[in-house]
Parts: sequence; C-alpha cells; structure tokens
Amino acid sequence: MSLLTLDALTKAFGGLVAVSDLSFNVQPGEIFALIGPNGAGKSTTFNLISGLAAPDRGRIFFDGADITAAKPHDRAHLGVGRTFQLMQPFHNMTVLENIMVGELFGHALSKSMDEARRDAEAICDLAGLSLLAARDVTGLGVADLKRLEVARALATHPRLLLLDEVMAGLTPIEARQAVGLIRRIRDGGIAVLLIDHVMSGVRDLADRVGVLNFGRKIAEGRFEDVARDPGVVEAYLGEEGVGADATTGGGISGDATVGDRA
Amino acid sequence: MSAGRAERSVRGRGGARAAILVVLLIAAVLPLWVGRTQPYFLQLSLNILIFAVLAVSWDILARTGQLSLAHAAFYGLGGYTSVLLVTRAGVPVLIGMLAGGVVAVIAAAALGVLTLRLRGIYFAIGTLAFSETLRVITKQLQFTGGSSGLVAPPLLGGALPSQYLVILSILGLVLLVSWQINRSRWHFAFTAIRTNEEVAAVMGIDVIRFKVLAFAISAFFAGITGAFYAHVFLFINPFEAYSLAVSVGALVAPILGGLYSTIGPLLGAVALRAGEEVLRSTIRSGYLIIYGLILSVVILYLPRGLLGVWAGLVARRAPRPAREGAWGGPR
Amino acid sequence: MAGRDLGREARVSRTVQSLDAVRLTVSDATRDREAAIETFVQMLIFGILRSGLYSLTSVGLALSVGVIGIINFAHGEFLMLGAYLGYWLFVSYGIDPLAAIPIAAIALFALGGALYRLGIQRVLRAPELNQMLLTFGISIFLQNLAIILWTGDPRTAAISYKARAVTLGAFTVGFPQLLVFALAMALTLSLYAVLGRSRIGKAMRAVAQNRLGASLLGIDVDRIYLLAFGLSAALAGTAGMMIALQLSASPFIGLLYTLKAFSIIVIAGLGNINGVISASLVLGLSEAFVEFYVPQGGGWSEGVFFVLILAVLLVRPRGLFR
Repeated sequence: MSLLTLDALTKAFGGLVAVSDLSFNVQPGEIFALIGPNGAGKSTTFNLISGLAAPDRGRIFFDGADITAAKPHDRAHLGVGRTFQLMQPFHNMTVLENIMVGELFGHALSKSMDEARRDAEAICDLAGLSLLAARDVTGLGVADLKRLEVARALATHPRLLLLDEVMAGLTPIEARQAVGLIRRIRDGGIAVLLIDHVMSGVRDLADRVGVLNFGRKIAEGRFEDVARDPGVVEAYLGEEGVGADATTGGGISGDATVGDRA
Repeated sequence: MSAGRAERSVRGRGGARAAILVVLLIAAVLPLWVGRTQPYFLQLSLNILIFAVLAVSWDILARTGQLSLAHAAFYGLGGYTSVLLVTRAGVPVLIGMLAGGVVAVIAAAALGVLTLRLRGIYFAIGTLAFSETLRVITKQLQFTGGSSGLVAPPLLGGALPSQYLVILSILGLVLLVSWQINRSRWHFAFTAIRTNEEVAAVMGIDVIRFKVLAFAISAFFAGITGAFYAHVFLFINPFEAYSLAVSVGALVAPILGGLYSTIGPLLGAVALRAGEEVLRSTIRSGYLIIYGLILSVVILYLPRGLLGVWAGLVARRAPRPAREGAWGGPR
Repeated sequence: MAGRDLGREARVSRTVQSLDAVRLTVSDATRDREAAIETFVQMLIFGILRSGLYSLTSVGLALSVGVIGIINFAHGEFLMLGAYLGYWLFVSYGIDPLAAIPIAAIALFALGGALYRLGIQRVLRAPELNQMLLTFGISIFLQNLAIILWTGDPRTAAISYKARAVTLGAFTVGFPQLLVFALAMALTLSLYAVLGRSRIGKAMRAVAQNRLGASLLGIDVDRIYLLAFGLSAALAGTAGMMIALQLSASPFIGLLYTLKAFSIIVIAGLGNINGVISASLVLGLSEAFVEFYVPQGGGWSEGVFFVLILAVLLVRPRGLFR
C-alpha cells in the first residue's frame, strides 16, 4: 500500500490555479522527487500535504487514512515531517533546542525533557550539527541552517519527510553531504518526497520523479525517462534545462556515495 | 564549553537563583514588619504587588506572541463578577474573587478563539477594542451601577496585613506558574509559536490549544487581581476597572524589566511603580508621563530591558550576540 | 361617574370624541411619519457632518500607515496639540482658528519631522510591534505632558460664531459644524489631489507600493518617509485646529481620536488612503444612528467604533473598501 496518496488535488488562489488535478503516490522507503519550473505548484503541493493549506478539491491519504481535513500538528503526529525552502529556524533558541521542539511535540510518544534532549543530541550527531548544538541559531550559515531544517524535521520521527529545496544554494561539497544525509535517512526507513532544482542531486537520489508545470503533472517515472520526455524538455525551455544541468553538475554523480564526510 | 566550566556555571546559576529567592522572601515580608508603624508603606507594597501580578500574567500571554491590550478587560470582568456575586448572592469574598478569575478565563477563551487569526498589530487593536467595548457596556447597564459603579464589601474585614498576605500569595502563585512554564515543554511550544506559527504547527504543536491556554492562564490572574483590587479599595467603576492604564502598565513593566522571563516583569513592575510613586508625590497629575518616557527609551535603546542590561554587564568578558529585540527575531 | 341622566349627551359627545380621535389618529400618522422622516434626515445630516472631521483625522493616519508602514498611536496627540495651539492663539493673540490653520500645519509638521528623526526612523526595520510600542510611548508622554502643562480641564475658545446656527429648510445645523465639515472635506480631497498629481505625491505612492523599487528609481525613500510623517502630523494638527473651533481642547481627546481614526482605517483596510472618506461615513452614520434610535444612545454610541473595529477585523480583516 502507498504511504502517501494524492488523489486529484486542486488548489486555486483567487483566479490563479496553483495545483490542478494532481495525483501521485509515494511508496514506503522510496525517494520521490517533484521537479518543475518555478511557480509550477511544488511548494503549494507541500503545503497541501503538510496541512498549511486546504485543497479546493481532491483528497490526501496517508498510510490508508484520509487526512484531507486533518490539522497540521495531527499530520505531524501521524508521521508527516517537512522542511521549509526559506529556512525558518526558531530564533531565540539554540540549535539543540530547535531540534528538541520536534522531539517534544512532533510525535505521539510523550518524552520527558531529558529524553527529548538526549534524542535531540543523537539527531544533532546524525545531521553533523554536534559542534553547533549550543549555538544560538542567529548567525548560522546557509548550509548549517539547511541541515538544521532537516534535523528538526527528523526529530518529529516522520515516516514521510518532505524536503523543500534542501540542496539549493549549497556548494558542490555541501550538496554531496546533503545527498549522503538524505540517503542515510531513507536507509533508516523514512520515505522522502523532495522538491529541488539541483538536478544532479535529484538524479542521484530519486527512485521516481514527477514533473509539474502550471500546477499539472506532465510526466512521471524514472529520472532518465522523464528527462527525455519532449513535454518536460519544452516546459524547461528558458529555464535551466534538465539535461543541461544534469550534465554540468554531473561531476557529483560518480562519487555521490562518498558524500558521507561528516 | 568544557564540562568543568559548564558545571561551574550551572552551580553559579543555582547560587544566583537561591540568592534571588532569599532577597524576594525578605522583600515580601519586610512590608508587614515596617507596615506595623507605617501603614502607608504597606499600602504602597500592596499596590506594587497588584501591579506585579498583572505584569507577570501579561508576560505569560506575550510568550506566545500575543501582545494584548485587553488585560484591563479581564481585570474589570473579575472585579465586577466578584462584587456582584458578593453583594447580590451573598457569596464569601474569597470565593467571589475566585469566581472573578474563572469568568475572566471564560471570556479569555472566547476572545482567544475570536482573535486567533489576528497577528501583531491587528491583535493589539482587536483586544483594545474588546476591552473598551466592555467598558461601554458596563457603563450603560443598570445592574453594574452604570458610570457611578458599585460599592464593594471589604476583603477579610478590611485588615490590611491579611490583605497583603492574600495578594502576596497570588503573586507567589503566578511567579511559580510563570517559572514552571519557562522550564517545561510549554516554554518550547510558546517560543516556537511566537517565532513562527506555521512552522510550529508543522512541528506538531497544537498552536490553537497553546494560544488559548496562555490566554486563559493570563486572564485568570488578571481577573482575580481585579477582584482583589475592588474588595480592597471598596468600590469599582467602569473607568478604573477597564482603564487603559491597567493594560498599558501590564505591558510596560515586562518591557522595562525584560520580556518572556519571570524575574523581568517582576523587576519592571517594582521599578515602575516605585518610580511612579516618587513622581506622584512631586507632580500631582500627569505622573504617567514616566510610562511614556520609559516605553520610548526602552524600545529605542534597551530592547531587552533591565535584564538585558544586567546580562550585558555580566557577559562583558564573553560578549554574545544579542538574541532578540523586544518582539522576537527579524521580521 | 357619568350619570344615567346624562346618557344621551354622553353618547353624543363620545361619538364626537371618537370622531376627533379618528381625525387625530390620521393627523398623528402623517405627523408621525413626517417626524420620523425628519428625524432620519437629521440623523443623516449629523452623521455626514461628523464624518468630515473624521476623514481629515484619519487620512493622516492612513498616510503614515500606507507610506511608512507605521501605525502611529500618537496621531491623536498631534491633534490634541493642534487644538491647544488653536486655543492659545485665540486667547492670547485673538487669532481666529480659521486663520491659524497654516500655523498649526507648520508647527505640527515640524514636530512630526523631529519625532521621525529622533525616534521613528530608528525602528523602521524593527518588528512592527516595537514601532507600535514606541508611538504608544510617545502618545502617553505627550498626553501627560499636556496634563502637567495645562491641567486636565478642557479649554474652550469663545469664538463669536461658535453658537451660530444655519437653517436649511426644515433643519437647523450648527454653523461651526458645517464650516468644519466643508473645510475638512476640502482639505482631505486636496490631499488626494496632491497624492494623485504632484511629483511628491507620486513618489509617496511609489514608496507605499514598493520600498525597494522606489529607491531603485532614485527616490530618496528616507526623505519621503520624513515628509509623509510630517504631513501626517500636520493634517492631525489642522484637524485639532478645527476641534478648537468647534469644541474644546483637553489632554484626553487625543486617544479618543486615535482610536476612532484606527477604526476608520481598519474599516477602509490598513493603508488604503482612498477608502478613508467612505469609512468615515460608515462610522459617522453608525454613531448618529445609535444616538438617534437607541435608548440612551449617547452612551452607547461611544462604543460604536470599537464594535466596528472588532466586527471588521473578525469578518473581513482586509477592510470593507478594497
């Protein structure tokens, strides 16, 4: 059974249709990438899945249950975790405290403060943030903030993790580390749904890819097949082409598995 | 930070905490002792404690990012509820005060749900409108005594020392609640909600529940204090009960002392009321000018209040970047 | 009491009486209807006249919200200072408030500009609640300064035409009210014209729409902010002069007008300068309606603007006129 199923979701803002009749599913343990030009409706899709926006039509199923009307925090408790494209750390908290929020509230287990702190420290290690644990988040660099986004979402003990452009804006080395981290997350049994413009990363990671354009899904399948699809190529004309980016960034593909430097 | 240093700093903090506690206890009992010969001093201390309860309880709500201008609404509601229950239904004064707190909680839950969608400035204006609407209604109604108000029966036969102990207990309770919140998981929920409600929700925090809860706790203490005020000063009218000065005072004190803490609002309330008292004896009217001056100066120059100044002095050897302005991180 | 022997006469007289009664009812009905219409029109006139001063007061606040993004709690205090200025100029130098309008405008423009430089400018990038708290502090400061300087007693300038009334057909209207309405509306509309036509006005609108874009176009955003805040204060000072002309100066009027102006800009939609006149009419007419038709309406009408704020914020937070 699919872990996540979107069934004909439609969402409009005023006259602008952001997502139109969108259906796809994510299998347990799978990495599914959602790609498409800017404004294609990817972020809206994430908001619909995490409950920050309500669809006008269509349904969302998670692990067989209809969660279309569920509140965001209830979805988090069921196992839907997400990051934000524009990093949104909790200011006035340290890195560790940010992660503790997830450990304290993100799941149905009720952990004591000490347990939450201990488990948050473990996640800090996993995400390579141990050295920064006691730091105030104000003043962290982009790469560390992105890692914190992922770590904080992991702390909610998700079964499905939505990653919103966690590789964008990183140096090639940092991007390789991110690829390694995402792979470790999946190997830990968490399904990943990711949005990204870094095509090399998407190619290395994704089991399946869905392509959005103007809110509609125009292709779905393995990255190699999708990248050759004439409709997809046309959608990307004027943007950085899928193929072009995949070749220029191709240096990463060969040694992505080495990207475990912590 | 090495383990040894961390331990030392924890022990140091524990020592500081014990010292603060001792100072607070002495300060709390001193007025009773001095007040035997100088009742004015006891009266002033009682006023300061009323103000401190309002400041600390307002701060608890502010921790969720809700800047309320409706603290006077709950203060007034509590007062009227208690006075009406005691005079009309013959309820004992202490029970009436408790009922005042409960009615304030109910009103707060209702207002909290209504204003959930309002953020920042809209929330402030909306709560102010709520408070002022209550004042107009109370002024117009018959059974609340209209604009002349009601006479309130005295608390504990009007014995000032006993009354002082009552408000001291209420203050102790609100300090305890505030302190507990800040060292529990609630602190994480409140701070997360204040920073970004949507992210907090996605992280699994039931935002509505915590916002309304904070509203209710905050209003309970405002309500019970409003009732206390009425039964100590033996009357209640719409202008004093729903006075904007109550809402403003409750907000200026934590800003002066240091927001989102337990000691900050307490410190701010004591400093502000004491300063006001000095000023009141030199200029008879218009002494509220000090509120305006302090608010402006603190916002412009000390965004973290007196506690921030203190922390800055302590941390001079190891400077640390300022954590936030008065109202959370950058927009 | 009527005896049996008087029966016939009584019956006759009763008939006559009842006929009279019928006649009376008919004329009562017409008279009632006429009175009702008269009351209604009177109410409309009251409400509309009042909306003039409301517009002038609120348009300044809308300007500072729209252009600078500052919700100025001290706006009403500018108005209060304008009213005192009007009172003192009249009492000390016999200057008619009408003639003193430019003086108030210049004086308050200067005060507004100074406050902008000393305070507002420093919090432009701070969270908006810091901005609100700063202006709140300024408001409390100015109000209590006025109490200290001039006591809490209201000051009324005994202007010769203050009690004069104008008869318009069946209706009587206070001359100062009519004058203030005409002046206030003229000033509000000329502000619209300035914003629409002049270079400064266009620059202000550009800044209101997009801070960054305007600065890229070479507009000195800081100078526009200074001008907008000064202008906002000047408009409030002008409105204060009209208070001196029509009512009295008192330290406590500031907050009331701030709050009413808030309700108007909330009704119009925060930052919507063009909606101010319509929103002022909504408030003025609602208040007049409550005063005329609700028992003890004078007291209840004090709460009208708060109810409007709450209702608009809860139902349509974007405002009614956008």
